[in-house]
Amino acid sequence: MIYLITALDAEARPLIEHYRLKRDLSLPYTLYTNREILLLVTQPGKINAMMATSAVLGWRKPKNGDILINVGICGAPPAYGIGEPLLIHQISDGERRYYPDILYPHALRESSLLCLDNPADAPCDVPVDMESSGLFAAATRFFQVHRLAFLKIVSDHCNPSAVTKEGVMALVRSRIPELEHLITALRESSAESPLFTPEEEKTIGGWKEHFTAAQGVRLEDALCYFRLKHPTSPLPFPSPQIPASKRERSVLLDTFIATLTH
Amino acid sequence: MTPSSPPSHTKLFSHLYIEKGVLDHPRTRAILAKFDASKIVVIDHYKEVFNRPSQSFAAQSHAKKLILAHKEGKFLHEGSPYSDGFGHRQFFYASSVMGCLYDCDYCYLQGLYPSANTVLFVNLEDAFAQLLPYLGHDTLVATSYDTDTLAIESLSGQTRQWLSFAERHPNLHLEIRTKSANFRSLRELVPNPRVTLAWTLSPQAIIERYEHATPSLESRLKAAKDAVEAGWKVRLCIDPVIHTEGFETLYTDLIDTIFASLDPESVHQLTLGSFRMSQNHLRSLKKLRRSDVAFYPYEVRDEMATYPQAIEQHILEVLLAKATLYIPMERIRTWQRQS
Repeated sequence: MIYLITALDAEARPLIEHYRLKRDLSLPYTLYTNREILLLVTQPGKINAMMATSAVLGWRKPKNGDILINVGICGAPPAYGIGEPLLIHQISDGERRYYPDILYPHALRESSLLCLDNPADAPCDVPVDMESSGLFAAATRFFQVHRLAFLKIVSDHCNPSAVTKEGVMALVRSRIPELEHLITALRESSAESPLFTPEEEKTIGGWKEHFTAAQGVRLEDALCYFRLKHPTSPLPFPSPQIPASKRERSVLLDTFIATLTH
Repeated sequence: MTPSSPPSHTKLFSHLYIEKGVLDHPRTRAILAKFDASKIVVIDHYKEVFNRPSQSFAAQSHAKKLILAHKEGKFLHEGSPYSDGFGHRQFFYASSVMGCLYDCDYCYLQGLYPSANTVLFVNLEDAFAQLLPYLGHDTLVATSYDTDTLAIESLSGQTRQWLSFAERHPNLHLEIRTKSANFRSLRELVPNPRVTLAWTLSPQAIIERYEHATPSLESRLKAAKDAVEAGWKVRLCIDPVIHTEGFETLYTDLIDTIFASLDPESVHQLTLGSFRMSQNHLRSLKKLRRSDVAFYPYEVRDEMATYPQAIEQHILEVLLAKATLYIPMERIRTWQRQS
């Protein structure tokens, strides 16, 4: 699943159209989904961002390989061009700093970002937004830091009164190619293959029920050893029924572990 | 508008995280000059990045970042029971770098640190100041204990700084252990008889399987040979030995290969030791689920995980039988659990 998070409806609209997302009324937050994407509109402000992100990720918990991208506009100093997309490598909020891990190659300009409580209407030294720190704090309860990205598009030079709804939609629409590149790169760097298939997990769980917790740990360690050593071989579970006698079960387990770790 | 194509892979140290306080340190400036294409992120303290929660050691291993910092506390720590102090009265290891350029499956750093990134403490002069009070007595310092300093010598310059310091202090002995092929960075220096350059050697099949991003056996042997020929004291370390199928052939062939390349008389010492790790670090290693080495059914006693005694004994017997064909027992050091 790709979790896209925006603060504003205007930021979300081009994404809804591009990905053909449908409104989802499952939660009291503005959500749009398709089979692959969940788009959340948090409304402006770090508290809104934190609450909405927590609620959605608690409801639809991320799985291995899922990613999250915050897409939105930001104010920036004049050294940044209007419409320029920025990939954020540091978010500052008061004394706190947050660091998404950028482990993939990309062609975007990177930047720090200052997360404010109110729109910046005075000259700023670095790009500014109002959601990133709250979103980061909530998202890292569910995601590792290398599976998060913050894509900000410069909408103004710290002059929010110049920003219009239509302008925001046009800016986000114009940066969908960069967003798609980012999704691909982030997914590749976040890809994880679990050691065992769901069927194997089920079999392992079934076996572990017959043993003590400590024996279960030994069995799982030995199975991990075997799979990591022989990635393409099927797990060689013995075919006989698991004996009823505790002693015979222990003998069977020891023999199986010896086979796996030989 | 079509975005420009991204580069096809992440380059090493694509990002430099630099503490504000060391931005003007000469070592920082030298490193910045070498990494002018890297992204610079100014931070307050290295722990903001290195110790942040929810990192993936495995994912970071393929895209390591460099953190430049000022070490505030102790640079020197007493040598651990997992290592050999080589009979010196005092044995310390220096922690001037956290993390390693290499990515060995059996390395305890994966269990020790929350991050695969490298922290380089630029204020090595403070390590020397901390060491001075001990130098009235015979003292060994392992400079490459939590890292491989020679692998990043062209970046850090720390090995040269240690060598220069050791020249001025006659009670100081150094062990510089490495898997790198980077002897060239020391080539023009005058050898110091109190400094041992130690190469960790493994069969090529083990290197390919477990020692990711490290130089080949051939390159390491070439570097060790160059060091011997330049007059340095060289120790060779077959440690840790990984007990795997074909272990007898792999490791005895390794010993033959070593001494086909190096005159046994020119090798100061050979050390042999099988894999061992503290149980705590092994637990952390298992959580990463990266390598079979973590999941072998080790014997755990006194918080130390080792191969079962019979296997450990067998490893030593096989290796010693072969090694003593080349080098006398008194120049071989072995690590074995004290029963």
